[in-house]
Amino acid sequence: MAQKLTTCTFCGAGCGIYLETHDNRVIGAYPSRSHPTNAGRLCVRGWHVHEVASSPDRLKKPLLRQNGELHEVTWDEAIDFVAARLLEIRRRHGPDAIAFLSSPRCSNEESYLMQKLARTIVGTNNVGHGAGVYCNNSINVLLDMLGIAASTNSINDLANSEVIMVDGVDLNRQLPTIAGWVIRAKLNGARLIVIDMRRHRVAENADLFLQIKPGTEVALYGAMAKVIVDRGLANLPFIKAHCDEYEAFLEYALSGDLQKSARACDVPAESIEAAAISFAKAGSAALLYSTGVESRGKQSIQAMVNLVLLTGQIGKKGAGLFPLTEQNNLQGVCDMGMLPDRLPGYLPVTDSAARAAFAKAWNAPIPAAPGLDADDVLNDRGQGRVKAVWLDRYDPISTASYGDTRCLGGCDLVVTQHLFRTGLTEFAHVVLPTTAFGEERVSFTSTERRIQLAEKVIDPAAGPMAAWEQLVRLAQAMGADWKYSSSEQIMEEIAGVIPFYSGVSYENLAREYGRQWPCTKERPLGTPRLFEDGPDDRKFSFAPLHYASPLSTVSSDYPLMLVFGHSLYYWHQNVLINHSETLKREHRLLLLDYPGGFVEISTDDAEQLQIRDGQKIRLRAATGSAVSTARVTSEVRNGAIFVPYFVQQLRSQLIQENVNGSSLIPVRVERDPA
Amino acid sequence: MKARIIDSVDVLKIVDLLRAQGREVIAPFRGRGNDTYFDTVTSENRDDVQIHFANPSYPPKRFVLPHIEQMMKFHRSDGKIDMEPTYEHPPRAIFGIRSCDVAGISHLDRFYLDREFRDIYYEKRRQNLFLVNVVCTDPARDIGENCFCMCADTGPAAREHFDLQLMDLGMGQFMAVAGTTAGQTLFNEPIFRKGTPAHVERRREILGEARKRFKTTTSWFPATVRYVSQDKILDSTWEEIGKRCMECGGCTYVCPACTCFTVSDRQTGPDEAERVRIWDSCALAGFTRMAGGFNPRRAVHDRRNRRFFRKLAHYFIQRELSMACVGCGRCVSVCHGDIGMPSVVEMLRRATAERALPSAAEKASPSVAEVDKNEPVRQ
Repeated sequence: MAQKLTTCTFCGAGCGIYLETHDNRVIGAYPSRSHPTNAGRLCVRGWHVHEVASSPDRLKKPLLRQNGELHEVTWDEAIDFVAARLLEIRRRHGPDAIAFLSSPRCSNEESYLMQKLARTIVGTNNVGHGAGVYCNNSINVLLDMLGIAASTNSINDLANSEVIMVDGVDLNRQLPTIAGWVIRAKLNGARLIVIDMRRHRVAENADLFLQIKPGTEVALYGAMAKVIVDRGLANLPFIKAHCDEYEAFLEYALSGDLQKSARACDVPAESIEAAAISFAKAGSAALLYSTGVESRGKQSIQAMVNLVLLTGQIGKKGAGLFPLTEQNNLQGVCDMGMLPDRLPGYLPVTDSAARAAFAKAWNAPIPAAPGLDADDVLNDRGQGRVKAVWLDRYDPISTASYGDTRCLGGCDLVVTQHLFRTGLTEFAHVVLPTTAFGEERVSFTSTERRIQLAEKVIDPAAGPMAAWEQLVRLAQAMGADWKYSSSEQIMEEIAGVIPFYSGVSYENLAREYGRQWPCTKERPLGTPRLFEDGPDDRKFSFAPLHYASPLSTVSSDYPLMLVFGHSLYYWHQNVLINHSETLKREHRLLLLDYPGGFVEISTDDAEQLQIRDGQKIRLRAATGSAVSTARVTSEVRNGAIFVPYFVQQLRSQLIQENVNGSSLIPVRVERDPA
Repeated sequence: MKARIIDSVDVLKIVDLLRAQGREVIAPFRGRGNDTYFDTVTSENRDDVQIHFANPSYPPKRFVLPHIEQMMKFHRSDGKIDMEPTYEHPPRAIFGIRSCDVAGISHLDRFYLDREFRDIYYEKRRQNLFLVNVVCTDPARDIGENCFCMCADTGPAAREHFDLQLMDLGMGQFMAVAGTTAGQTLFNEPIFRKGTPAHVERRREILGEARKRFKTTTSWFPATVRYVSQDKILDSTWEEIGKRCMECGGCTYVCPACTCFTVSDRQTGPDEAERVRIWDSCALAGFTRMAGGFNPRRAVHDRRNRRFFRKLAHYFIQRELSMACVGCGRCVSVCHGDIGMPSVVEMLRRATAERALPSAAEKASPSVAEVDKNEPVRQ
C-alpha cells in the first residue's frame, strides 16, 4: 500500500486529499487534516474519488474515423493526421477557421500549451473554456473594478467573518467544503445573509434569507447602497484613500428607492435594510457569489463589487469578495489565458505592448484580434467560418446548454481529448485518450488562488497520453520546435511569463499545501489575503449603474419567470460521476424520478395552476414553447420556474435562437401539452 | 491475561517479528503537516513507525471491510458465463491500533460474523488479522481534541478483542498484555520479560491520569439512548440537525462501527465483468431509494434521524451487544456542519430536556400539562 497527498479535482475548493494505492490501483481516499482549506473534511465527491479512478471503461487507444467508423490507430498516425488537417484547413480558410476549447477542469499545463499552440502555431485567438460567457462577465468586471479577477481572501478566512453574505450559489451542492466554513462561522456567531431565489441548504441556516425574484439583484443592491449612504454607513476613509468614481456612484446610489426595490424583488424592505446595515456595520464581512451562473449579468456583479467598496469590506481579516469558481481549475484556466481576448496573466490581446512581450517570450507573432469563445463557436456565431475544433476534456453535447450541434456537425475536423467515450464521440473525427487524475503530476489553481499539485500515484495503462504531451506532439508535427519533457518544465515557463506566478515551481508547491498567488520571487510563500495594503498600482473603481428596465419582465400573458441555473445534483454533468456507482446514483436521484428532465415550480404556484408533481406541462414563451415535467417543490420561490442546467433543449425550444444573456424568460404554464 | 515488560527501544522489534511471520504489517506514519496515516511497513520506512500519534481519520476498519473490494469475476465464453469469487486476505497485522478502533472491529465482528449470515469476505480477512493495540496515554500526542472513548467505555485501554496490547509506562518501558493465544506466543521472544506488581501499579496510575486528561468533547449517552429508544425526539430537532448536514457521507465512512455497503457489477472487458462491494452511506439521499422511485428517507432530517437511531437505539445495542459508537471522534473531525455524535447527543438531550419542562402557561393550568405528559403508546 502507499499513501500520497494530492489535491481533489472536483470543485474549486481544492481540498487536500490522500489517495491510498495498492498494486497500481487507487483503493481509497481520505482527507488531509492539516490542509488549510478543508482541514480534515471532504464532500461526497471527494469521498468517492477512488471509485472513479479505478473505473474500467477508459479509452485506451487513439481513434480515427475512417469510412464513418472509429478505428484504433497509433499515436503517430493520429497526431500526424490532425496536424496535416489543421495545416490544410488553415491554408484554405485561414487561422480563424480553427478553435481550441477546453474544460475548466483542464490542468494549468495543458491549458497554457493549448492557448500557446493556438496563438503561435495556428495563429488564432479562438481559445475558450467551457464556462465561457458567465465566467468572463465576472473576470471583466473584477479586472475593471478591483484589478484582480479572483477571490480576495482564503476560504478559511471565513472563520473570521462577522457577516457572511451568500448570493446566488448553492454552496452545499457545488462547493460543500465552503458551505461548511459558512455554517461553522454562523454557529460561532457570524450573521448569515443569503440571497437566492431558491431555498437551498445554506439558506435554511440564514439569519436573513432574501428570496428575491429572479433578475432583481441590481435593484436589491441598489436599495442596499441607498440605505448605507443614507445612514452614513459608507466607509468614507477607505473610499477616499482607495477608490475612484465615487461621485458618479453616489449619484446612482442616492437615486435608489428602498420601497420600490422591495416591491421589485418581492422581499420585505426591512430585510433589505437589515442586510445592508449588517454588512456595512460589520467589523468584517464577506460576500460570496458564483462566477459560473449564467443568469448573473454584468451589472449584478458590478453591484456586488460596489457594495464591497462602499463598505470597505476588503483587504482585512474575514472581509473580502469571493467570486467562486465552481470547477476545479476555472481559475487556473483563466490565469493561463484560455480566453479569446486575454493572454496569460489577463493582459488584453488588443494591448500591443502585451503582445510584443509574449511574442518575444514565445518567439512568434501573436494575433491581435480577439477570437471566438466556446459559446460563440458552438452556437456558430462564427457563421460557418469555424471548420475545425479541438476540445480538451470538454463535452459540450452533454454538459452545457448546447444541445444544438449545428456547428460541430458542420466541421471538417473535430478532435476530442478525453478519458471516456462521451456524447461528443459521435461527432469526433479523432479521439485521443488522456491520462486521468492520479496518473500524472500537474497543477490546478483553486478558487482561493491556491496553485496546487495533483500528484501521480499510479501508472496509467498503456495507451493514454497526458493531454499536455499530446499538445507538444501536435506542435512538433506542425513544425514547431517545442521541447517540454515534463509538466514541471511547462510550469517553469509559465512562471517566466505570468508575473503573479513568477515564484511558482513544483518544488515550491510540494513543500506545504501549494501556494496562493501572487506567488513571486519576492513572495515565494504566496499571498493568502489580497489588498491588505490597498489596491496595487491603481485605485479600486466604482461602477455607476443605470436603472435600466430589466431585460425580461413578466406580464399577464407570461406571468412566471423561467430561470436557468445550477441545481441540485448538477455537478457540472461531470462525466467522471457516471463512472462511480454511488455518485451516479446520487446524481441521478432526480433524473430517475423525472426521466425526461424536469423544471421546478413552487408548491403555491403549482396549487394555483392545478399542477401535480410529475405532470407534463407546456411552457410557452413569446418566442417558442417547450414541454417538460413539473417538479413541485417548496425550494423555489413563487413566480419563478427553475430549470436545472442539464435540461439542454429547453432554452433553444423556448427562444428560437440562443441570445446571449437570455437566462430569464417570461413564460406561462399550460397544463395539457397536446 | 498474561502481561510482560518490554523496553521502549525494543517495541518496534515487534513489527519485525510480525513481518518475519510473513505478515504485512500496517502501522502509523506521519504525513504532511500534522497528518498521520496507517500504511504498510517496509524496510525503508520501518524506523518511521509512530507509537504516539493522533489517530488518523481513515479508519482501520478498511482492513476487514475495504473501501472498495472485488468480490467475484465473471467471464463469458461460448455463451456460458463463469463466476469466480475473488478473495484477498493476506496475513496482516495492524500495529498501533487504538482502543476505540479495537472496539469498532469487535462491533463489526458481531455484525458480520455472529449473526444469521456469516460474511465470508469479512471472515477471511478477519481471521488473518493480528491486532497490536497501543493504549492512549499521552495527552499531547495520543488524546485528540475530539476523543471521547471514555463516554463510550471503549478506552483509553481496551479490555479485550486485541491480540497484543502495548502501554507506555514511561521510564523507558512498555507493558505488553496478550489478549489471545496468538498474542501470547510472542512472549516467547527474549525482548519480553516478566513484570512486577510495581509495573501493574504504574499502569493503574497512568491510566488513572490519562482518563483525567481528555479534552472538552463529551457525549452523555445513557439519557440519549433512552430518549432515542423511546421516540422522544421531535421532528423539529432532527430538522435543526439536518439543516447543518452537507450530505458528504464522511461520518459513516470514517466510523469504525458503521457497516453499510453497496454492491455493483461493472464490465471490465468485452467478455469480462466484476462485482465490487463499496462502502455506502445512509447520509446520502439515494441510500433508501427503491426501484419504482419510493424513497422513505428522502429528506435530509429523516436520514439524520435514521443514523442516530441506528447508532443509539436500545434495540440495536441489544442486537449488536454494543453501542454503534466507539467514541473515536472521527465524525467530529470530518463533519462540515458540526453534527458529529457529541454535538448531536447534546442537541438531543437539550431539546428533550427543554421539552419536558412545563412552560409558565402550563403551570397555570395543570390539566393542560397533564395532557401534554400523556404520550401515545409506541412500538
